[in-house]
Amino acid sequence: MTAAPEPAVRPEPAVRPGAPAAAIEAVALRKDFGPIHAVDGIDMCLPPGRIYGLLGPNGSGKTTLIRLLTGLASATSGTARVLGVAMPSRANLARIGYMTQSDGIYPELSVWENLSFFAALYGQTDRAQLVAALEFVELETRAGTPAQDLSGGMRRRLSMACALAHHPSVIFLDEPTVGVDPALRVQFWDHFHRLAADGATLLVSSHVMDEADRCDELLFIRDGHVLAQGTPAELRTRAGTDNLETAFLTFAAMTAATPPADPAGPPGPAASDGPPGPVGTGAADPAGSAGAAAADPAGSAGAATSAVDPTAESGSEEIAR
Amino acid sequence: MNALRVAAVFRRIVAQFRRDPRSLALLYVAPLAIIALLGWVLSSSQSTTTRVAVVNESSNPAGAALALKIENALDGQAGVTLDRSVVDDSAARQKLEDKDLDLVVVLPPDFSAQNRTFDLLTLGLNPTGEAAAIPAVQKALLNAVAGTLGIALPTFERTTVYGSPNATQLDTLAPVVVGFFAYFFVFILTGISFLRERIGGTLERLLATPVSRAEIVLGYSLGFGFFATIQVAIVLAFVLGRLDIPALGPIPAFAIGLGVSTIGNPLIAYLLVLVLGLGAVSLGIFLSTFARTELQVLQFIPIVIVPQGLLGGFFWPIDQLPSLLQPVARILPVTYAIDGLRQVMIAGADLSSPQVLLDLAVLTGIAAVFVALAAATIRREVA
Repeated sequence: MTAAPEPAVRPEPAVRPGAPAAAIEAVALRKDFGPIHAVDGIDMCLPPGRIYGLLGPNGSGKTTLIRLLTGLASATSGTARVLGVAMPSRANLARIGYMTQSDGIYPELSVWENLSFFAALYGQTDRAQLVAALEFVELETRAGTPAQDLSGGMRRRLSMACALAHHPSVIFLDEPTVGVDPALRVQFWDHFHRLAADGATLLVSSHVMDEADRCDELLFIRDGHVLAQGTPAELRTRAGTDNLETAFLTFAAMTAATPPADPAGPPGPAASDGPPGPVGTGAADPAGSAGAAAADPAGSAGAATSAVDPTAESGSEEIAR
Repeated sequence: MNALRVAAVFRRIVAQFRRDPRSLALLYVAPLAIIALLGWVLSSSQSTTTRVAVVNESSNPAGAALALKIENALDGQAGVTLDRSVVDDSAARQKLEDKDLDLVVVLPPDFSAQNRTFDLLTLGLNPTGEAAAIPAVQKALLNAVAGTLGIALPTFERTTVYGSPNATQLDTLAPVVVGFFAYFFVFILTGISFLRERIGGTLERLLATPVSRAEIVLGYSLGFGFFATIQVAIVLAFVLGRLDIPALGPIPAFAIGLGVSTIGNPLIAYLLVLVLGLGAVSLGIFLSTFARTELQVLQFIPIVIVPQGLLGGFFWPIDQLPSLLQPVARILPVTYAIDGLRQVMIAGADLSSPQVLLDLAVLTGIAAVFVALAAATIRREVA
């Protein structure tokens, strides 16, 4: 059922009862770029209907993992399955939504032309659905505006509408909220939760810890490995901290402390099973406080956007080394 | 293959170009401007007159008599202006250098009834143009010599199987220019469009949808085929048509269009250009893989476009090329398009001509190779 021509996909699959247990699944998934192991033997099994946060510093393998799961990159070894179908499968892409890290929209085309173009490729031609997608990202009054005349945040919103207009069952969002203003961010996450409640599975990558608490479950990723997986609360408990940033660094330090090269074993679960040996991570403070601030939704807005990129990123990368 | 998705790609290409007036101008105005310039240069440079002088350096009385006869023969010759004021070789050379003369007939010192060798003296800066002036002078020389011998020279009239013996270079160049322009512009525009898909992240996004590579290539081909069709129609209308505008006030009379006569079927010409253009679309997609910026796409012009212009039979027939270059010319798509266009537009061949069918078949084959290459590179991973 993999490389078969288009019609091989069942129309209303997976997500609802009787479907495969995992919406997104990876088995010993590996991707090498020359000597670099961008994805280094990842195993995961994500049941449907939830929001998964893929958290890690830049260069940790998040985007490569998503590209493997969507079939855009071919794995060096291992298997990726979405809704029970091994990827790459072109037909299966009709049930998948992918918002890329770059906007991936045509600057000369209007908002409406961009949206209807991508929707048509997914087979979505229902005008009402497109209008609804535009309303969700609050661009309905900009339908005729060329994308190049939009602000950065508006382009991001258009990019998201293009990924969601065909009502995918599995949605990959690669850093979806970068450049989006705080109020709209909150709306985005509310909408993500509605999509999950309707049965969709979302994998949202981010290097910003303040978004982590909005996810049902988190995967900490670094150097192509899953360091730990669990609900935000579980991860805090296991790491013995009430701060996710510190938790990330704790798990990272634990993996580094265990025997250096163990490419064969699945490192994610192994690492998180062990006792959370507390490691001194005072260096995490500046970024860590931003993460903590995110816990209260009202205050998070302003603090988060300003604190997001440079601090959080440099903080974790520095420690990750 | 899903028609809806192909149509979506096609509509997108059309919408993108509609919003890009400069590229549209490049597509439609630039070829007209270049062809108009070409037409102007080629048609006007034919009508110059050659300024000729005759110099007698020989002491032989027969020489002096012959020199006078030659002068009289040249005097009435069309396209020739005679200068009788030049007395010797050095004065002639000076006048050539001063650009007051184009050609000097010199009867050398050893000229005699037995040794009838003339010197034809020119400046030597423009070999082609100087050589072109010689036939008129030669004719006058023959007439003069025949007159001294008391015989009449035979006359002849040229006829040709195709076209007219009075056809200018323009008449044979203009119909095939159409193919070259379509190839050039379609290649450049597709190459840059597709490069922008790659670097702008939209290709990544396209490939995350169920659209297939074949659908992308076909959608692109239809989109650029649409614009190429309009381009070919406009260029053909300009080359074949002619609209004379009478003088109006201070504006002198002028003509729009070249009015080149043809007996060919423009639809078959279009078919040839279309297949050529299909190859150009795919070649553009393929080569965009090897470019990282728009500038790097332009760097393919001297590699891909210029050799086809030089070797494709545009200016020089293939069998007059150096033997090493002939096989190269025979793998270039433009070669077959130009041959086919000449067959159709000048010789009036139609689809029953095996030559035209061969040209179409080779062009189709080349296009198929490029389509396969383009489709193969579309999935190339963007690391």
